[in-house]
Amino acid sequence: MSPRTGSHSPAGIGRSLAERGLLLLVVLVLLEGSVLPLGAASSPDISHQENVDNHKVAKEGHNFTKKPFPVLDLDYEHIRIPFEISLWVLLASLMKLGFHLIPRLSGIVPESCLLITVGLLVGGLIKLAGEKVPPVMNSKFFFLILLPPIILDAGYFLPIRPFMENLGTILMFAVVGTLWNAFFVGGLLYAVCQIQPGNPNIIHSLELLPCLLFGSIISAVDPVAVLAVFEEIHINELLHILVFGESLLNDAVTVVLYHLFEEYSGQGTVTVMDGFLGVISFLVVALGGVLVGAIYGILSAFTSRFTSHTRVIEPLFVFVYSYMAYLSAEMFHLSGIMALIACGAVMKPYVEANISHKSHTTIKYFLKMWSSVSETLIFIFLGVATVDGPHAWNWTFVTVTVILCLVARVIGVVGLTYMINKFRIVKLTTKDQFIIAYGGLRGAIAFSLGFLLDKDHFAMREMFLTAIITVIFFTVFVQGMTIKPLVELLAVKKKQEAKRTINEEIHIQFLDHLLTGIEDICGHYGHHHWKDKLNRFNKKYIKKCLIAGERSKEPQLIAFYHKMEMKQAIELVESGGGVKLPSAVPSTVSMQNIQPKKPPPAKPVERALPQLPKGREEEIRKILRSNLQRTRQRLRSYNRHTLVADPYEDGLGDLLLKKQKMIELEKKIKDMNNYLTVPAAPPDSPTMCRARLASDPQAYSMKPDTDSVPTIHVDLASPQSPDSVNLMDEFRRAGQQQRQQKEDEDQGLMMKPPSAPSRPKKPGEADADRDQQKLMRCLSDPGPSADEDEDEPFLP
Amino acid sequence: MGSSSSSVNHVPNAQELMQETGFSASQILRLYERFEFLDRDRTGGLSFQDLEALPHLSINPIGDRIIGAFFSQGQETVDFASFVRVLAHFRPVDSNRRDGAPQEQANSRTRKLKFAFQLYDQDKDGKISRAELLQVLRSMLGIQVTEEQLQSIAERAIQEADLDRDDAISFDEFKKSLEKVDIDHKMSIRILR
Repeated sequence: MSPRTGSHSPAGIGRSLAERGLLLLVVLVLLEGSVLPLGAASSPDISHQENVDNHKVAKEGHNFTKKPFPVLDLDYEHIRIPFEISLWVLLASLMKLGFHLIPRLSGIVPESCLLITVGLLVGGLIKLAGEKVPPVMNSKFFFLILLPPIILDAGYFLPIRPFMENLGTILMFAVVGTLWNAFFVGGLLYAVCQIQPGNPNIIHSLELLPCLLFGSIISAVDPVAVLAVFEEIHINELLHILVFGESLLNDAVTVVLYHLFEEYSGQGTVTVMDGFLGVISFLVVALGGVLVGAIYGILSAFTSRFTSHTRVIEPLFVFVYSYMAYLSAEMFHLSGIMALIACGAVMKPYVEANISHKSHTTIKYFLKMWSSVSETLIFIFLGVATVDGPHAWNWTFVTVTVILCLVARVIGVVGLTYMINKFRIVKLTTKDQFIIAYGGLRGAIAFSLGFLLDKDHFAMREMFLTAIITVIFFTVFVQGMTIKPLVELLAVKKKQEAKRTINEEIHIQFLDHLLTGIEDICGHYGHHHWKDKLNRFNKKYIKKCLIAGERSKEPQLIAFYHKMEMKQAIELVESGGGVKLPSAVPSTVSMQNIQPKKPPPAKPVERALPQLPKGREEEIRKILRSNLQRTRQRLRSYNRHTLVADPYEDGLGDLLLKKQKMIELEKKIKDMNNYLTVPAAPPDSPTMCRARLASDPQAYSMKPDTDSVPTIHVDLASPQSPDSVNLMDEFRRAGQQQRQQKEDEDQGLMMKPPSAPSRPKKPGEADADRDQQKLMRCLSDPGPSADEDEDEPFLP
Repeated sequence: MGSSSSSVNHVPNAQELMQETGFSASQILRLYERFEFLDRDRTGGLSFQDLEALPHLSINPIGDRIIGAFFSQGQETVDFASFVRVLAHFRPVDSNRRDGAPQEQANSRTRKLKFAFQLYDQDKDGKISRAELLQVLRSMLGIQVTEEQLQSIAERAIQEADLDRDDAISFDEFKKSLEKVDIDHKMSIRILR
């Protein structure tokens, strides 16, 4: 039984399948673990063999000791490196697969722990096989290949609004907090190292600067680890953004401190001048990184303006520009992480407005995929490197480090919160502080930085590495595993999973304007004032440059509204495909001819079919809107595990809800007079029709309207009622009618009852239907539904 | 910024205002200074023109509504007490205020929302009708949006929020639609703490 089917079967069978799947995986792991060293071992032999053979043949000249022509040959060396890389990636992905097949395990233990364990296993296997463990945690590889996708994913989907609102707090934690941590840990470690009475210990030789360097390496909260753990606990947005933002922004501090101490560790002293230069360097690193990122972001946005004819390579621009931003920043020793975040955040609103829906989906999925693989690989490699790396265990050093890290973090958070709360409107409670302190996880970045240390300058390198690894293990395992139950225990507010409604959007904008006005009256140039100014500037100049065509003038609300409509329409279509109904579908009515109206997204389609006039689009949107019944519950998360809400989860409750909404909708259709050019009898998806017919015994009809509005009388007596059949017939005829001449107006959409005045059907309506057909052809695949996080306007 | 309480005595009704709104003495003083600044012709009250003279307010889409909110029924000028009372709505909520039930404070969540609601509801019938919502949308979205788009947005919004199906949004429905939004944060101005 393949593990693939395991996840869909009911629990009992699933368990045995899962176990079998696990067994299969373990076997695979062992296989892979053994192939790697075997491959490494055999390749030199084989290549050597071949060399010898060739040599022999060459030497003997044209001596006719001809070897038989090799029908099957083994040339491992030829493909070794790509093969091994692919093998690692495959291992990582299979591990991920495996963890989710065992539901209980992934609930208790965070994925990062499991992955490290797997890494330890694989490393152990390789070592057992007597082979040299490949230097997978090669720092260059880590920083240039493994880290960028994760950071780009984080930056592109960063929720800008909460980030900006809490920027002050985040910066305080990131800069001041990290500095405090570094100096506290480094300084106290040095002090502890000095006070070893009596027995000579190796750590006595540790000087202050290496200690401070070590402190700065170990003090930085790691974004990868934070992401991995926090995503599973679904904590509320504020805490998430605080800890995560801190982990991203402290990169600049870490870079500066690291280089500062590393440079001067040789000399032995750091003067005040150096400290001063360090501060300036920090500003340069941070702001420079952001600047580089922003420049590339703008370039990318500008490029995307012209990609309307080459849609397939749109995602490529996003990735390549971002990566180049990272590399450029690293070139100047600026903060690559901040560059990447800035690039992603800057380019996103403009790029999103320019690219097609499919490209958007592609970008999203590629980013999630790469970052997922990267993260998995990082943790596995961490395990492998632990087994491999030369270790120098020193009880004092390691334990003191761990304790100091914890203590420093707690004191830092508490102290900073005390100061920050003076300036915050919504204050941070003790619970919040606890979570922030507890969520300060260290990860692979610390390890890689330690790995980079030069052995000649730092004799204590191995000891450092051991300590770093211990701290990482401690935070990831102990803190990672216990944070979930602690969150439950402390009843910390969880993430709210709700779709952003248009009401919220309208009101929030309204409130923004209101607050800006009040601030003006108070004479206070506050948060809202500057945001408003930036928005105006953005609207007036920047959008014109960076967004193609019509979209540049589109106000935020309209864009949001369009997006919502399209998303819901896509959902409806998708759910129309696979809903399991409680009762049988009456077969008397042929539903096949009722084509589910594919969602014609308003603006993107304009690019596909430039000749679609605005009026038609409106009509289509009306029809569409009348189909959109229920706002679905969506996870507003940028969690890798839950990208697509399952469209097949409609149940009976939904059907009933839909039915209720139908009643409301019909009432409302009454009111939509002058802009309802199409008598929008909701041409429902087959599901809806089936649902209505199947589950509704009673007929609900409309009160006939007295004015000259064409009303839709939906008389659904029973499944077998001739009324409903007629209804469907109307549609069928309407569908067929499109293929006939335009002038054929009178039949098709004239609805019962005859009391409604037969309004001459506009010739345009036939057009609308035909255009819809065209659109349906264009949109062969609407793509999976999108996440909520992209609904966040750039600067609302 | 701290002025001694003796200067606060220049401010009329300072103590009562402090009591009522929860502002501190320094804040009252600061607001009074601002009030005097805005009151260019020294009439002791702010007129419509005084407030309109603020440059940023004139380009604010809902600027006139905001100004209108200061003037209670039929009044021509805003005196200092009304000025402070309106601004009291925007004080950040302090969670550990001892006196008075939290609900009755000027800056409680309900009161803040009520203030916003009244800005929508110009005819003061207790509901935001479709026409009123359209007006707001029109002023916020400007001229580049077509009538149909506005209508569809308004329609959608009412569809979402209107629970008792009276085709208008009452205050409770308004509150409910914003229950996930952190109003305390959104409707607070820091300096008014």
